[in-house]
Amino acid sequence: MSLIQTDVFSSIERITEEYGQAGYISSRSISMAVYLAHHLQKPILVEGPAGVGKTELAKTTAACLDLPLIRLQCYEGLDETKALYEWKYGKQLLYTQLLRDKLSDVLEGAQGLVASMEKLHSFSDIFFSKEFLEPRPLMQALEQKDGAVLLIDEVDKSDHEFEAFLLEILSDFQISIPEVGTIRADVKPLVFLTSNKAREMSEALMRRCIHLYIPYPDSKLERSILASRVPELSEDLRRQLVSFIQQLRELDLKKVPAVSEAIDWARTLVLLHSKTLSADLVRETLNILLKFQEDIEGVDAQIPGLTQRAMKEA
Amino acid sequence: MDRTLTDFIRALRHSDVRVSTSETMDAFRAVRLVGYEEREQLKSALSMTLAKSEEEKARLGDVFDRFFRFDAFSDEPETDDDAAAGDNGEGDGQEFSPEDWDGESTELARMLLENDTEALALTLQEAAQDVNVANINFFIQRGIFTRRIMEQMGLAGLDAEIAGLSGQEGGAAQARMQALTQARERLFEQTRDFVERQIGLYASTTGRRLREDLLRNIKLTNVDLQDFRLMKELVHKMAKRLASLHSRRRKITRRGHLDVRRTLRANMPYDGVLIDPKWKVRRVERPSVYAICDVSGSVASVARFLLMFLYSLQDVLPRVRAFAFSNRLAEMTETLKNMPLEEAINKVLKEQGYGTTDYGQAFVDFKELAMEDIDHRSTVIILGDARSNFLNPRADILKEVYRRAKWVMLLNPEPRSFWDTGDSEMTALRAGCHQAEVCNTMSHLERVIDNILRMAT
Repeated sequence: MSLIQTDVFSSIERITEEYGQAGYISSRSISMAVYLAHHLQKPILVEGPAGVGKTELAKTTAACLDLPLIRLQCYEGLDETKALYEWKYGKQLLYTQLLRDKLSDVLEGAQGLVASMEKLHSFSDIFFSKEFLEPRPLMQALEQKDGAVLLIDEVDKSDHEFEAFLLEILSDFQISIPEVGTIRADVKPLVFLTSNKAREMSEALMRRCIHLYIPYPDSKLERSILASRVPELSEDLRRQLVSFIQQLRELDLKKVPAVSEAIDWARTLVLLHSKTLSADLVRETLNILLKFQEDIEGVDAQIPGLTQRAMKEA
Repeated sequence: MDRTLTDFIRALRHSDVRVSTSETMDAFRAVRLVGYEEREQLKSALSMTLAKSEEEKARLGDVFDRFFRFDAFSDEPETDDDAAAGDNGEGDGQEFSPEDWDGESTELARMLLENDTEALALTLQEAAQDVNVANINFFIQRGIFTRRIMEQMGLAGLDAEIAGLSGQEGGAAQARMQALTQARERLFEQTRDFVERQIGLYASTTGRRLREDLLRNIKLTNVDLQDFRLMKELVHKMAKRLASLHSRRRKITRRGHLDVRRTLRANMPYDGVLIDPKWKVRRVERPSVYAICDVSGSVASVARFLLMFLYSLQDVLPRVRAFAFSNRLAEMTETLKNMPLEEAINKVLKEQGYGTTDYGQAFVDFKELAMEDIDHRSTVIILGDARSNFLNPRADILKEVYRRAKWVMLLNPEPRSFWDTGDSEMTALRAGCHQAEVCNTMSHLERVIDNILRMAT
């Protein structure tokens, strides 16, 4: 098994730079995690609040490496037939029907049941071979010739059983199929697991991964993210907007606005040709930032104060 | 440098970050990649390979800052100035400067007098490693480790030199002796500081582990208030272990038992050819638990921990209903759900606790509140000393619960020899239980709850 061939991962600075060009503003710890993951050949478990760019990190990595991104969305009840492989039952059945006529040719010359059985045994495994295997995301990722980026999204939503069965893939990059044998990856894929901490992951899984926690960005980082994602937004407005959102995050809200909401808001303001933040403007567009009616109502009274502070700080 | 990293991991384990061998190996490889040159880089590499949650990362940061502290001698210049000023005040008119001295001198003396802080810090670190300061366990070992480190640094030579100088005449020798004596004093203080920091790193939890083991088996009624916080953490730890032990078993496939109906239905698309057999599956029910707690007097503290335990197990025991009684019984499921556990328990104890116990009334109330919901999946835990103040304990109601429920368990904090003495109604109540146990330590509680979870399968 070999590593993905690339010079993107030659140094931590290089990663930050490449990702920046691809539109993902990476903090030092994020670049470090990717660097380590590549060189130690370990999966990365990315945790953090919703909307800070966990999934985006995997997408950007795939784009930078020019490799396919294979995504497995986890949910309760996900099992190996949907994640790993399944037999193509229909095809198997169709083939047996079609080949029924050939049966007499195969059995030609055989005398009695025992001899026929023995002849059949020599053909036994053709219906349980790779041709009849339907690869699902995990197997696809192992089969890619030049390697791939595998994203196992929201792994905390899956069941405990599924987590246990991920272990073989995450540590050895191989899967065992009873009828066929062990399938190994030629080139180890780069694996990202994301989690929102809906439940604690098992120690065994944690142990196999590099752990990266992405918090909400500080104002400097958030400004550069917005500059990269929404370049049309003027410098002044960007400062005001970031300051406003940073203040919102301090409040006691049901769902705090994340980076993705900040980007959406910035796009909205560009669309409205706004030059500067004002209380009315904020009130009209607040539903882009806050997703719960209680939050919107709670913040409503504080909007003038927050806007003023944002203008002053910017 | 490998030694340093293993020592660091040791310190980390002492602050309750779980580090496995494979993670240690990852850390080594990561450090080999990023090197020791940049502090922040090293820290984030270690934090990614060793700490696996936000909380652990914070702890790692803390340990990292304490562990990689090489400024042991940074405050040297100031004290040196003071010392020099003091020297001048002595009045022998001769200022001491190290360059003037052409007699013999030990390495340590040279470093001290020339104020070579970097070399001193390095020697200190090396000496500390040589005497295995990472093995320090208790605060009382502070003196001996300080001594050993200083000896390793060359204290004997320094003392000999001071002794030699004191025998000599002449201003230069005297001045040098004074300077050396003061420097020795400072070295001692700084080494002691260093050792104290090491105690913070390595030792604080060895004692703590001892205490935890002790607390596991101490009577819950005797737990000191100051141990409460530790107790709470212990409950969480034990609950987490139980949860991970029992969270996997939710469906049991009974391979070999063909589910004919499902098989036929599933194979309809294949023309009725049975190529996709379906097996019978038994779903493992999560037990619904009814905890009935006597919160009067001495039983209250045990009840507190039982509830704490049950509610730390939300992951595997999502359906817990809790009831508290002394003379009347009330449901406190909602209170426990809406408030932080600690507050809620205190509130319940205040409202319900410390009255005269009446099991009969309590069972009547329970019948009204919850009897309808009890079925073959329910586990009922009754925690109490069965002392009903000579009132009728209404064992007949308990019998009815016994008939309906899957399991009824009576936990009594009193030792077996006290059962059925005085107003204790154990015999009457035992008849309506599947199981009656003594329960007054953490270990007992753990066993009881482990059993409940086991029965679920």
